[in-house]
Amino acid sequence: MARSDASVAVALPRPLLSRRARTLLTGYLYLVPVAACLGGTIVFPILKAMHMSLYNHVLFKPQEYGFVGLGNYRRLLRDETFWLTLWNSFVWVFGSVSLQFVGGFAAALLLHQSFRGRPFVRTVTLLPWIVPGVVVALVWEWLYQPNYGVINDVLLRLGWLRERVAWLSDPGLAMPAVIATNVWRGVPFFAVMLLAGLQAIPDELYEAARVDGARVIQRFRHITLPLLRPIIIVATATRIIWTFNYADLIFVMTSGGPANATQITSTYTLVTAYTNLDFGYAATLSVVLLVIMLVFTILYLRVTRGIESVT
Amino acid sequence: MDDRWMLSRRQLLKTLAAAGALAAADLGWWEEPLMRPRRAWGAAPVRFQFSVPEPKRTALVESLAQRFNQSQTDFEVKVEFVPQAQARQKLIAGIAANNPPDCCQVWDNWVGEFEGMGAVEDLTTRVRDWKYYKDVTPIAWQTVTLKGKVLSFPWVVTNDGVYWRTDRAVEYGIKPPKDDWTWDEFSAAARAFTKPEKNQYGFGMRGQGTWAVLYATEFMYANGAQVLKDGKVAINSKEAAEGLEWYLDLFRKHKVCPPSVPTDGWRGIVEGFGRGITNMYIHNSGSSEEQKDFVGAKSFATVPLPLGPAKKRTSFYFSETLTGFRNAKNREGAWRFMSWCMDDEPKFMYCKTLGLLPSRKSLADRPEFAKDPAYQGFIKSFPFSIVSPYLAYAGWGGKIDSEGVPLFQQALVGKLTAREFLEKFAEVLTKNMA
Repeated sequence: MARSDASVAVALPRPLLSRRARTLLTGYLYLVPVAACLGGTIVFPILKAMHMSLYNHVLFKPQEYGFVGLGNYRRLLRDETFWLTLWNSFVWVFGSVSLQFVGGFAAALLLHQSFRGRPFVRTVTLLPWIVPGVVVALVWEWLYQPNYGVINDVLLRLGWLRERVAWLSDPGLAMPAVIATNVWRGVPFFAVMLLAGLQAIPDELYEAARVDGARVIQRFRHITLPLLRPIIIVATATRIIWTFNYADLIFVMTSGGPANATQITSTYTLVTAYTNLDFGYAATLSVVLLVIMLVFTILYLRVTRGIESVT
Repeated sequence: MDDRWMLSRRQLLKTLAAAGALAAADLGWWEEPLMRPRRAWGAAPVRFQFSVPEPKRTALVESLAQRFNQSQTDFEVKVEFVPQAQARQKLIAGIAANNPPDCCQVWDNWVGEFEGMGAVEDLTTRVRDWKYYKDVTPIAWQTVTLKGKVLSFPWVVTNDGVYWRTDRAVEYGIKPPKDDWTWDEFSAAARAFTKPEKNQYGFGMRGQGTWAVLYATEFMYANGAQVLKDGKVAINSKEAAEGLEWYLDLFRKHKVCPPSVPTDGWRGIVEGFGRGITNMYIHNSGSSEEQKDFVGAKSFATVPLPLGPAKKRTSFYFSETLTGFRNAKNREGAWRFMSWCMDDEPKFMYCKTLGLLPSRKSLADRPEFAKDPAYQGFIKSFPFSIVSPYLAYAGWGGKIDSEGVPLFQQALVGKLTAREFLEKFAEVLTKNMA
């Protein structure tokens, strides 16, 4: 008998997930490594810090470890040093960023002109930004050294000082001195950002304005500033966030002293964690810093979203 | 690749041998440079944390470890150098994580804190049977004894004295101080030494670090004050406030100190004297060898601290300890290494190289210490030296640095009066009497 080759079609078992669900799942699976990295390095430490802030966790007093609820937050409200550091942080951030912006803008306008030796000047302008922060701090600490520092020596020789000034040891001068160092370091950042913006403004606009009789200040006010606005906002907001968190310059130059005159909240957090070994309270300070930074970040995102829609 | 630039195995070995010989030759301070490799193979490792990694100390301690390793076959010491600023936190983190080194070198004011964590190996029974137990001065044992337990070996002892620029004194016609000089004479000398137009000042006061508060306290004691009285904190007394006021005025009112005082730590005061900015400063014998290099052995001397109005004076004893840990992986190795460091030769070399006074009488009596003018101020201070009162409570160790020093700086720069500082400081001490 001839064998029949015909076979009956058998229905495949119904897949566990629909095609759409599988496509979606595949997409999410690709995201897993990134999510794991972000979760492990950002989300988990933040949650851990929040958790730690609810505990009395002084490393050298293990017997006193325990849940204190909002006790650390209550302590923070009464902590005079914290409020002082918060005020110092605002002075540090706004003093640094505003002067960096002014200096950077001036440098960018200068570098935008064509003159002999411009590439050399551009390179020199960038140098402070290239040098590592700790090196900058050490160099400036020596420059400010009251007994044998260069700054005092030069000012005394010029007759501008009668006696040696303790730049970093005088509570009234220490903060301006560290801000000046930070300004020196941060000017190139603004200079480069704003120079890039200036170069993107079409020359035709200036030519048309010139033909219409606009003077230098009018051209600056009505062409340069409005067209640079997006870059100014992005650069300033980014710089504010960086400076708020930037602890190494102060830590190396003054360790927050003298008498907490240069203690900002981020250095205070470092001291609380690594000198006092009070990890519970340091975590509380970190959480508060996080909230302040979140406010800045939300503002930044709102402003830049506006800019994106304009552009 | 160009073969001319490739090192053969033989060339590499020769280069390494030459580098080793150069490094050994560099240890000129040791009579017999170490050239031979160690003999022990498979020896149990001993982790030793050393917390002042300056070039001289690093070479010295590495050499000590090699000599110990060569002297026996059971253990091999591996030195972990940690910057002083991070040493305490690294040890506490190691203890908290149940992974401390086997032993370490730390100042005695930290040991109480470690003991508070239940981390320190109790050496009481073993040291009493140890061969040099009676040779160690009783006061040195006192610096490492807490609640009747001996917790460490006092490797070296220190007390404070005044470094004095002898050549400048001759130049300015200032009489050298007698051993029983007074505050008035101290102040007069500081003024006579001060020449701001030449960038020279009379006294290098310390404004940063734990000892900023300790040196000020020694002046308070000279005015009749005490840290503890009848078991209570008494540092806010009238005598203390007056003594401190006098001390602070050297900087605030009389301007006999350099303007950098509020941020001058140990390095600041030692270098200030070494570079000729200051002509007197208070420190232990630990910077005497350095000053011999800086200003020359004949250009300075040391004298005891001056007598205060109460006709009293005090110098605080401290010791640099060798401390072992209860949860160490190699406690026996740690004991063997620590006790070996207290032997004649290693201890003598450590102390003499660094200018520190040995805690063993038989070594301290050697002419290298007893006859050296650089040590006289400290040796003459022995009769009135006491163990630092700040060693009374374990909780005080870290608090002086973290809370006492910023408060002291506020008093220095005039943000607090001496009395206000002492009231706040007494509060900190009272809170941490544990």
